[in-house]
Amino acid sequence: AFGLYFPRKEYSENVYVDQPAGTPLLRIHALRDSHGEVAHFHLCQNLVISRARSHENNWFQIREKTGLLYLSKSLDREDFNMLSVGNWMPLSKLMLYVFLSSHPFQEKECDSATRTTVFLSLINATAPACSSLTARQLCFTEMDLSFHIKENKPPGTFHQLQLPSVHHLCQNLSISYKLLAAEGMPFRYNENTTGVSVTQRLDREERERYELIAKCTVREGFREMQVEVPFLVNVLDEDDSPPFLPNGTDTADAVVEFNRKEGTVLATLTVYDADTTPIYPLESSRKKYTGTIITDDPWISETFRVEHIFDEIHFSPNGSQVRGTQHEYKLVLNKSISVTEHRSFQLDVLVNDTEFHGPERSVMLHFNVSILPVSIQFPNVTYQFTVNRNAERFAQIGKICIENCMKFRGVNITYKLQSHNASCYAVGVLQGREDKYGSLYVNDSSVLRRPECKEIQYTIQATDKQSRKHTKTLLTIVLEGTLINKEEDCPDSCAVSKHRAECEECGGLGVLAGRCQWRQGSGKGITTNYSTCTPSIKTCPDGTCDVIESKDPAVCPQDCTSANIIGGHGKGTGNLGIRSGHGICYCFPRQNCYCEKDDIQEQLCDDVCKTVI
Amino acid sequence: LAGPPSLPGQDPHGWRVPVDCVRANELCAAEPSCSSRYRTLRQCLAGRDRNTMLANKECQVALEVLQESPLYDCRCKRGMKKELQCLQIYWSIHLGLTEGEEFYEASPYEPVTSRLTDIFRLASIFSGMDPATTSRSNHCLDAAKACNLNDNCKRLRSGYISTCSREISATEHCSRRKCHKALRQFFDRVPSEYTYRLLFCSCKDQACAERRRQTIVPSCSYEDKEKPNCLDLRNVCRTDHLCRSRLADFHANCQTSFQSPTSCPGGNYQACLGSYAGLIGFDMTPNYVDASPTSITISPWCSCRGSGNMEEECEKFLRDFTENPCLRNAIQAFGNGTDVNLSP
Repeated sequence: AFGLYFPRKEYSENVYVDQPAGTPLLRIHALRDSHGEVAHFHLCQNLVISRARSHENNWFQIREKTGLLYLSKSLDREDFNMLSVGNWMPLSKLMLYVFLSSHPFQEKECDSATRTTVFLSLINATAPACSSLTARQLCFTEMDLSFHIKENKPPGTFHQLQLPSVHHLCQNLSISYKLLAAEGMPFRYNENTTGVSVTQRLDREERERYELIAKCTVREGFREMQVEVPFLVNVLDEDDSPPFLPNGTDTADAVVEFNRKEGTVLATLTVYDADTTPIYPLESSRKKYTGTIITDDPWISETFRVEHIFDEIHFSPNGSQVRGTQHEYKLVLNKSISVTEHRSFQLDVLVNDTEFHGPERSVMLHFNVSILPVSIQFPNVTYQFTVNRNAERFAQIGKICIENCMKFRGVNITYKLQSHNASCYAVGVLQGREDKYGSLYVNDSSVLRRPECKEIQYTIQATDKQSRKHTKTLLTIVLEGTLINKEEDCPDSCAVSKHRAECEECGGLGVLAGRCQWRQGSGKGITTNYSTCTPSIKTCPDGTCDVIESKDPAVCPQDCTSANIIGGHGKGTGNLGIRSGHGICYCFPRQNCYCEKDDIQEQLCDDVCKTVI
Repeated sequence: LAGPPSLPGQDPHGWRVPVDCVRANELCAAEPSCSSRYRTLRQCLAGRDRNTMLANKECQVALEVLQESPLYDCRCKRGMKKELQCLQIYWSIHLGLTEGEEFYEASPYEPVTSRLTDIFRLASIFSGMDPATTSRSNHCLDAAKACNLNDNCKRLRSGYISTCSREISATEHCSRRKCHKALRQFFDRVPSEYTYRLLFCSCKDQACAERRRQTIVPSCSYEDKEKPNCLDLRNVCRTDHLCRSRLADFHANCQTSFQSPTSCPGGNYQACLGSYAGLIGFDMTPNYVDASPTSITISPWCSCRGSGNMEEECEKFLRDFTENPCLRNAIQAFGNGTDVNLSP
């Protein structure tokens, strides 16, 4: 197996003008996948300058066996200028790719997958004197001391603390290192080589992060300086844990009754895994961890699908927190199911951790599916509604609904009225978008005023669109009340009235008993409880523009207007209606609405005014 | 250890000063050898990585010729005419050459040479808002007032606020796409002395900091139902030329630098704030994470949950927003009205 890898993604060092050939720059390490592998380092013969331009590498070489990068030829000022051409950023950076192989390199190409990047900062000055460098600069590079080591791999040396360039330049300084907080940790520091090695195979599921401190002491004569920097080791994960079931639960009930709509989640079962699963890129992780419905029945495979989502969870095996994965498998309806369907069966889902190489790589999940039929029938009563003779067109009388209609999803019911007495036909039915219930309303108010119409009988028929199943019941409308005279000069719409008195003496479209109703608001700022005149406080304004209100803009513009609203207000859902207003809100249908405080004559606050405050 | 930073844009070593890519494209098109090489290189780069491309002799020749053409070093300007076209030309060459997998990408934008002091000078024009007399005042409120006194700022600000707070339906809180577009217009077309004051005002209490957090209408432009993984978000951003460029620009100008006492590259706060504002209205839109008046934490809407073996890289990416001394210093310096004067 080709398993050698770099414990760091990036290395960095500075290069100065006229540094002599042979100057060591930095040391690169490789870790092994299996015992006996020997690392060979190789440099791509291509320098990348400021990330786009490239140049042939004439200056840098790497020792194939040790990974020591050094200057093979001095970079003089001319070389510097050439490498900086077109690079108008103040600091030039060169990029080198170092490749790794378990065999001596035959062809000198740059196409191995295992590579690390070396950033060399070109500094347009000769190498600094050792005395001008701070302890931090003498001891460490700017790059964090952060490494990654794969779990389950043989031990080995992965870093050298001493900086080869500084060691070469400042030979009269004594620079020594120590690794603090390393007791009991699987790392060892070798004072002779300043190398840091990992001493045993690591297990990410035991611990995934080690935080140590690298301490450096610089002695120059009697002066002594110390620097400490964090030294971090992350353990990389591989798929070495099988899936398992929390509490051994592998069965769930999935019942289809009132909710039969495509996309409904019927039941969820959970599978845990101690390994991590990256959500990026998502699709490849989904492919690694599959959930398949095991069935020969084409109906089952058409009707159901399994959705897989996963999330990171934490657990603590021995005090330190490590990450794992929770996989959720949801049984979902792939299409809407007819109300007549009736069956029960067990549906098995095979979950497979495809990258785990062990015998327990899969678990079987069981869903006990029961699809119950639902009956289309009215509750065991006949409907009776009372309507005042003074009710106006679009007055809302009531709702009709088959049994459990509000629980239905994915079932479309249509309601129809059949008249017995054609001459007194005063009521209609309308359905909302959800097709759950029917709303009864007055569609011809002149019929209500005819003395011969006292009681109107209808048959209501409810039909399921998909199965054509239907049911019928009787509806009786009783007319009551005595006719009152209509006021002259009253507007069509209640919403036009601005004051309580004019509101309550007039009627308008949608009123139930001949008169509009006044809603007295709380009167504090911009509120949903604003004062307004409405045909019926129960339905208007209630924040939704229902099917009857939307038939005519004069019925309830407070819920339905899409025109301008002038004054302090908040708009309703979908930009329709007045959700909240300041003071009294009144509307001229098909024109503007106004919200204002009645008693103060101040300038109205429009959109712009609101954004100021 | 760096040499003294030379002023970008100047030309001390006879370096070529870059032209914009739209112009460079015209220059190249006028020259038959350049335009045919450019066509060849674009074909070479399409769907291939750098190394397979370089293995092809014809591609290599095309690359060498183009290295000498103005197209190679061309750059774009923020808010320029045909900005998108310019960036498309830039990435058509650079995407294939930089492998597109780098942690930090080079910015396609020209370096910013102006300083915060230029803004402070302009800001003092707002009379009656002298910081001395308003020491107890809410700077973010002052910024809103100042914006409303300018027709252009007021128009574009109420434009994005009403777009971003318009509810579409019960399930769709607002149109994020339109909101982002309106925000981009605001930050592109309104001078920075107005926009920075709104974004980076300094606060002493929570009400002020909450107003600062609300500047970009975060409920629509920033927050989402779920927090994606930051590397995933970065990937989404990189599929869009504009977002990719703005992110690269943010990294170029706000990357923590150890060689500067301000922690900013070249000590340039203005450049960092500008590229921060340049990210607003894209998938990588950053914002204040809370209404804390003093401790400023910035983040895009993402987390490092579910990073797997890429957690280190993800956290490094996120830290450039959440724990970035350059960005923090730049925001604080703007709030305090202080800038560093660097000797060139």
